[in-house]
Amino acid sequence: MKFLSKIAYLALFALAAVLPAQANESAKLAATMEAALDVVYLDDYQDYTSDQRQAAVRQILEGSYDLEVIIRRAMARNWNLLSKEEQTQIRDLIDRLIVKSFVEGIEGKARPMVACGAVVEVTSKRMEIPVVISFPGGKTYNVLYRFGRLRTGWQIYDIVAEDISIVSNYRQQFDDHFRKQSGAQLIEKLEKLLLQEEKEEGIDVSIKL
Amino acid sequence: MYLSNYKSRLLRYCLCGLAVIVSASALQAEDDFLSEEELYGDFEDTPASVNDPLESINRVTFKFNDFMYMNVVKHVANGYQKVTPNSVERGVSNFFNNLSYPVRLVGNLLQGRMKGAWVETERFAVNTTLGVVGVWPAADRFERMQPIPSEDMGQAFGAWGIVEGPYLVLPLLGPSNVRDLFGYVGDRAVNPLKKPYSVIEDSKVQTAFGVTEFVTKSPTLMRIYTQMKEGAVDPYSSMKNGYSQKRRSMIEE
Repeated sequence: MKFLSKIAYLALFALAAVLPAQANESAKLAATMEAALDVVYLDDYQDYTSDQRQAAVRQILEGSYDLEVIIRRAMARNWNLLSKEEQTQIRDLIDRLIVKSFVEGIEGKARPMVACGAVVEVTSKRMEIPVVISFPGGKTYNVLYRFGRLRTGWQIYDIVAEDISIVSNYRQQFDDHFRKQSGAQLIEKLEKLLLQEEKEEGIDVSIKL
Repeated sequence: MYLSNYKSRLLRYCLCGLAVIVSASALQAEDDFLSEEELYGDFEDTPASVNDPLESINRVTFKFNDFMYMNVVKHVANGYQKVTPNSVERGVSNFFNNLSYPVRLVGNLLQGRMKGAWVETERFAVNTTLGVVGVWPAADRFERMQPIPSEDMGQAFGAWGIVEGPYLVLPLLGPSNVRDLFGYVGDRAVNPLKKPYSVIEDSKVQTAFGVTEFVTKSPTLMRIYTQMKEGAVDPYSSMKNGYSQKRRSMIEE
């Protein structure tokens, strides 16, 4: 009995060291999303221009997660077809597009409620966090965040929104692009996309360029 | 003496526990990370690519549809939403959704989903009577009649193991594939509002129903279309992949 109680104590210590680590990731994701929403909705940021809001959101996202993971995963083997310079440019452009889509997707709407569920451990190196995003009008979206364990910590490697994997979707687009076109042409497309969206907003693009 | 024995035992247990934690963390740190190949290569969970041998024709049709959606459907949707109160919009949408019960029933029966068929039937009966021809979703108030995922013939064919076949872009109807096209034809055959077996004999009334249904669905269509298009490097590829992923997921559930 004495021996068993010793083992029990040891097991408890070991478990206590491991268990909270993954649970913290759900709280971290929730906190990151709330911080990003704060930039769009809180009075403190009322005087921010759209560019400043996007820069602030980008800082928050990059402070919590390495966005290069999800970008490289979407590019898959096409990433190696790019030069280092092209990789840096593409990474920056896609970062800006992701942030822009996020900010513009919710600007003008009421603040959504974000409910992060419990972590689902897929393997010891992969986990998922289900999130329900509810808008006051009654519309809800089910989003699943997929995480991989890297040396830099748990990083998002895919987002599945309404059964559609964002990484798979962009991978299809990049695969189709690289069948006939180059990295330089992809950069042109991304810049055009960013420019097109800015023109639609009426932002003075000349200062940016 | 008893106390000092207890304290020394406690100290030993704590030191052992610490050693276990440190060694467990060290072991995990060494072996338990995703490698570059695992993270950036092809994964078993990556869906199979979409078969698109008619890509050049599909892209032309896609451009035509894009023009029609952005220059006609979008304005129809905006106009409809502007003049229609939200409650009326919901009510009309519920009405048409209720009328497509035969499609959902057949979709469930063909997959042997008897429970699903029964739920759809109960919902239809309650919504048509208590819900005033389906305008109000009265069945939502009953726990056992909660909405279930919608089934159709295309999903039934997929559940039977029939492959998707080549990806298609249909004029005005949008993304599809050979299997879903056959499913769509089958769905029309059991839909009481649509040809060739419509219960409405007067073709003008049939057309009026068809146009009204299209107008009520146009806001949802435009929302989905613009979401797929926005931020897409290649909207055609984005739509192709998004449609295929969604349909595969609907068949698997």
